[in-house]
Amino acid sequence: MAADIPVEPGLRRVPRQGLVFCFLVAFCIVIWLTAQTGWLEHGSSRDVLVAPGMEHWLGTNEIGQDVLVGLILATPTTLALATVTAILAGALALSAASLVVLGGPLVAGVVLRTVDVLQVVPSMLLLLFVAALVNPGLIALVLLLTVTGWSDDVRIVVAVLRREVRRENILYARAMGAGWIYCWRWHLLAALRPLVGVVIVQNLRQAALKSAGLGFLGLTDPRLLTWGSMMQSAMDQLYTGAWIWLLLPPAFLLSLFLHWILKLSDPRVQSGLELEQRL
Amino acid sequence: MTDTSVVSVDRELSVARGFRSVPFANLVRFASGLILRLLVFASIVAICVVLPRLMPGNTLEIMLSTDLARGLTPAEVRDLQENMGLGGDLFGQVLDYTANLLNGDLGYSIPHAAPVGQLLIAAFPWTGLLILGAAPIFLIGGALAGIEAGRMPGQGVDRWSTPLITVMASLPPFVGAVLLLLVFGVLWPILPTSGAQPLFPATETLSHAFDIARHAVLPSLALALHELARFFFLARAETIHLAQRDFVVNARARGVSVWRIRWVYIGRSLVPAYLARLSDTMTGLISAVFFVEIVFSYPGTGYLIYSAILERDYDLLQGTIVFVAGFVLLVNWCVDGLATRLAERG
Repeated sequence: MAADIPVEPGLRRVPRQGLVFCFLVAFCIVIWLTAQTGWLEHGSSRDVLVAPGMEHWLGTNEIGQDVLVGLILATPTTLALATVTAILAGALALSAASLVVLGGPLVAGVVLRTVDVLQVVPSMLLLLFVAALVNPGLIALVLLLTVTGWSDDVRIVVAVLRREVRRENILYARAMGAGWIYCWRWHLLAALRPLVGVVIVQNLRQAALKSAGLGFLGLTDPRLLTWGSMMQSAMDQLYTGAWIWLLLPPAFLLSLFLHWILKLSDPRVQSGLELEQRL
Repeated sequence: MTDTSVVSVDRELSVARGFRSVPFANLVRFASGLILRLLVFASIVAICVVLPRLMPGNTLEIMLSTDLARGLTPAEVRDLQENMGLGGDLFGQVLDYTANLLNGDLGYSIPHAAPVGQLLIAAFPWTGLLILGAAPIFLIGGALAGIEAGRMPGQGVDRWSTPLITVMASLPPFVGAVLLLLVFGVLWPILPTSGAQPLFPATETLSHAFDIARHAVLPSLALALHELARFFFLARAETIHLAQRDFVVNARARGVSVWRIRWVYIGRSLVPAYLARLSDTMTGLISAVFFVEIVFSYPGTGYLIYSAILERDYDLLQGTIVFVAGFVLLVNWCVDGLATRLAERG
């Protein structure tokens, strides 16, 4: 019966998504360099709330800043914020899971109880509270999102890791005198790589959503230009008609990014499931 | 295997795990869940009380920096400091706050000139109304669409509903809310865009209720659209799985009607998974409500938190967060217990 269900050839799509990711990284580096050299400036001008035209392709905001330049400059910040948070949270989840499986019952108990506690904490409430107090910049925001986001993935990594340590290659390596660090580096990490990919992609989505939400509420450092903060400043123009060029472009880019992550997670999830079926 | 043997196997398993009986094991799990949540609640209270006091400056200093507070004598400032729970050392302040909290006192909001508890009592029902308005749409709508899509994956309803809901799932809650506000409030103004009732509410009960319902339509819809995707994908995945189970295959072979299979055989079996997902997404639901309330200026707890942030009203902020966190943990504990109980039925 299971054979009747059509399964999309997910793994074939991974290289294409990888190319898109590489292109995005290169794009972000170029934008960052141009911003550093002062070639792209988001300065204000007398052209206030100008509709899109030849001079300003996506119009200007209420203090005369070019929306297109703002969008371009906000892209590396938004993407870097989500990516770094996702990678850090994934790495923390992997480390915690490794401690649970390899660290003995006492360490496992401490880590798992901490995860239990963090999983039932309404993290958005704490984020709102801390962000209201400190108005976090880029680094503080990454730390905040990492601290509140790593615990969701620990159990799933623990489950796979527990199966993996019982495999013959590990038992054989251990019998031959290999230490756990060697086994982790050369056997476990390789086997876990697809699952860690899934975890990072899911964290990417959560980090992008939360950071955009905080930016939209105006709770981040005002100097931190993100798509969320651009939407927040556009909210004052909802009834003037300027929302078309102020609100829609950042909203569209943010949704497109989240949609891309969602599509990206499909093949990664499938490859993760295939991995689990093989175990 | 007879029912008796099933029970005895259950009992043996429980004994092997160190419990005397299945109900006792459930009780232990239920109690440990409660203790865990109490610990979490205590941690949240500690964070909310300690963190603002460790930051440079405090509520009083921020208040005194405004024009409204100029001209206070040092004695008045000292009194104000005592009344705001900012007198003495940090440990004493934490003890005072905890003692007040145990007496049901969540603090006093000076900008609103009212106790935090009173403000929460006024705001919380509006948040409840939005959640109750949205819940049938995302729970029942998600189940109906998910079952239809999951019955024939890749064909029929699934071909258009899954891509559509995937796009919807890509919209952050505030983007969906803003788009609804723009379409039905600005471009085609048929529904109210802000507030929970008209400026001058109707005197007749029926008209008043109708006005309240009209004001809740867009925020509830925004919330429901955001949550719908989660339950759609869950129902779709579960239906694909359930459609292959023996009891469904057998029912189909016996000629049980398609509608009965959909709603009685598959629909009922979705309930435990739905409850488990509801427990998982409770915090997500609450944060989505915040964004929706802020976009629609809806006077619920989310909007209260937002106004507390804008006014730097830390007493109101920490009181509201402590209250909402307590509520979320309580609901989460109940739903978790119910989901475990239902899942045991298989």
